[in-house]
Amino acid sequence: MNASLSPRTPGLIALGGAGLIGALASGHPELALISLPFLIFVTAGLVLAPELRLAVEIELDRTRLLEGEEAVATVRLRNDGAGAVHVELAPARTRQLALAPTEALAINLRPGAQTELTFAARPQRWGAHAVGPLVVRARDSLGLATWDGRLGPRVDLRAFPSEQRLRDLVAPLRTQPFLGTHVARATGEGIEFADIRPFRAGDRARQINWRATARRGAPQVNDRHPEHSSDVVLLIDTFQEARDQTGGTLDAAVRATAGLATAHLARRDRVALVDFGGTLHWLEPAFGTKQLYRIIDALLASDIAFSYAWRNVDSIPLRVLPPGALVLAISPLLDDRSLALVTDLRRRGRDVTVVEVSPLDHVSPGPSGADAVAYRLWRLQREAVRAQLQSVGVGVAEWEREGDLGPALEGVNAFRRSARQAVHA
Amino acid sequence: MLSDAGAASQLAWLGAAVAALSLVIGMVVGSPAAVHVAVAVLGGLFLTRQDTRLLLAPVYGAGLLLIEDLAIQAIELRGVGGVALDVVTARTANVLAIATIGAGASAAAALAVTAAPGRSVGITALGALAAVAALAVIARLARRRYGPTE
Repeated sequence: MNASLSPRTPGLIALGGAGLIGALASGHPELALISLPFLIFVTAGLVLAPELRLAVEIELDRTRLLEGEEAVATVRLRNDGAGAVHVELAPARTRQLALAPTEALAINLRPGAQTELTFAARPQRWGAHAVGPLVVRARDSLGLATWDGRLGPRVDLRAFPSEQRLRDLVAPLRTQPFLGTHVARATGEGIEFADIRPFRAGDRARQINWRATARRGAPQVNDRHPEHSSDVVLLIDTFQEARDQTGGTLDAAVRATAGLATAHLARRDRVALVDFGGTLHWLEPAFGTKQLYRIIDALLASDIAFSYAWRNVDSIPLRVLPPGALVLAISPLLDDRSLALVTDLRRRGRDVTVVEVSPLDHVSPGPSGADAVAYRLWRLQREAVRAQLQSVGVGVAEWEREGDLGPALEGVNAFRRSARQAVHA
Repeated sequence: MLSDAGAASQLAWLGAAVAALSLVIGMVVGSPAAVHVAVAVLGGLFLTRQDTRLLLAPVYGAGLLLIEDLAIQAIELRGVGGVALDVVTARTANVLAIATIGAGASAAAALAVTAAPGRSVGITALGALAAVAALAVIARLARRRYGPTE
């Protein structure tokens, strides 16, 4: 805390001095008598001003919440000094963390006294937010000295992204031999009917299709598709984002990634995460709730890191990209490096789908005619990129911020079905 | 004599208006300097009074100190959302206590003035020396406690 004289103190000294000098110059002792209380006030204040010793504790009723939810911060302030102090305090607010009350609070603390204040903290965006230290201005009991600065601990408040509830997911082309909820293309033990075939040694009697057996005159059995899990790699593009005052594509991308991770892990898939941008982070594939927390914690640290480095598939460790995994790239398709990565992955035979977080919500054409033309060209260019990706077999789910992700994914599934037919044809 | 009294009255009204305006500007703009200008003008206006000046000066000075503090408190608490009641009452009580002590000291000084011999160069020089010494002591005290550290 920086200690300094209050802006009024030099003025008070000047008033006292002016009174004394005026009295001497004019021969009116009344001026000196009027100024005497001012000088005594300043002298008393300077002599009696205490050392500031404030102790601050900050406690949150919960340290993890969903974005948009509210946590209550309790601030305990204790005056360990020898004199009373007048304290104005407010939590240090950021653009992403709304605090109520928004204005500073003023309290008077006698020596040894403790007070408790509460603030409501509401994160406007997912991420790790800091409640505290407090912005504090303290004054002595006569208002002649001030102490300014930040006081108290930093308490982390983690806001998890609000999830997209997804009913339909992108169906993987290949599944893994673990029990799951995706209908595998292979035949075996399962629920989903696949085909009828002649009875073979080893087939169970319950598999026999009696109608088909009666019609063909030889034992026939039902073949079924087993339910398997799949490997899913969520690849979030953090090279660039489009941002305006209401948010950015990265915010939406993180929400979509969290929703996809939750939905795939709930379906017993193994999920990996690759944060592909200026800095490269990854989480190896794993099952279960622990992996969900790991992914969400990793997503909270996602940020746009500006970089000229050209990254490609070789930058990603092989163990993060298991063979046969479905790669879901969540990207605003703004950076050539992420486009090149997606295309490269597809050309290497990977099953790739792009969830395009549309930047159009954050971009508007400028006022002039040339701006409007540039905007239309940019949109055409984006459509060309989308067509280029689809031409190599990459499904693109265009997702607008306000919309539901489910229908966009259903559109991709339709594309993947037709693309497969085209390949077979 | 009548016209002198009238001019003094006009001057007092004018000074009071200037002081009030300066006070209002200080509180609106948040400038302690404007408040101090108002207090200085009000202090100067005291000289327009013709009688019992020595008797009233200590109380007048204490009153001006209280006005200055209330105006400064109003400036300091601008933009503060919630103000606990004892923030204002405790400080005002402290200032009132010191102002009372200051008025007492001032009254004692007034008594000393009435008993003092007439104005002379020597006494004026002594007074100037005392004033400079007092201001130097206060400035040194302020510098020692809150001045820049080496």
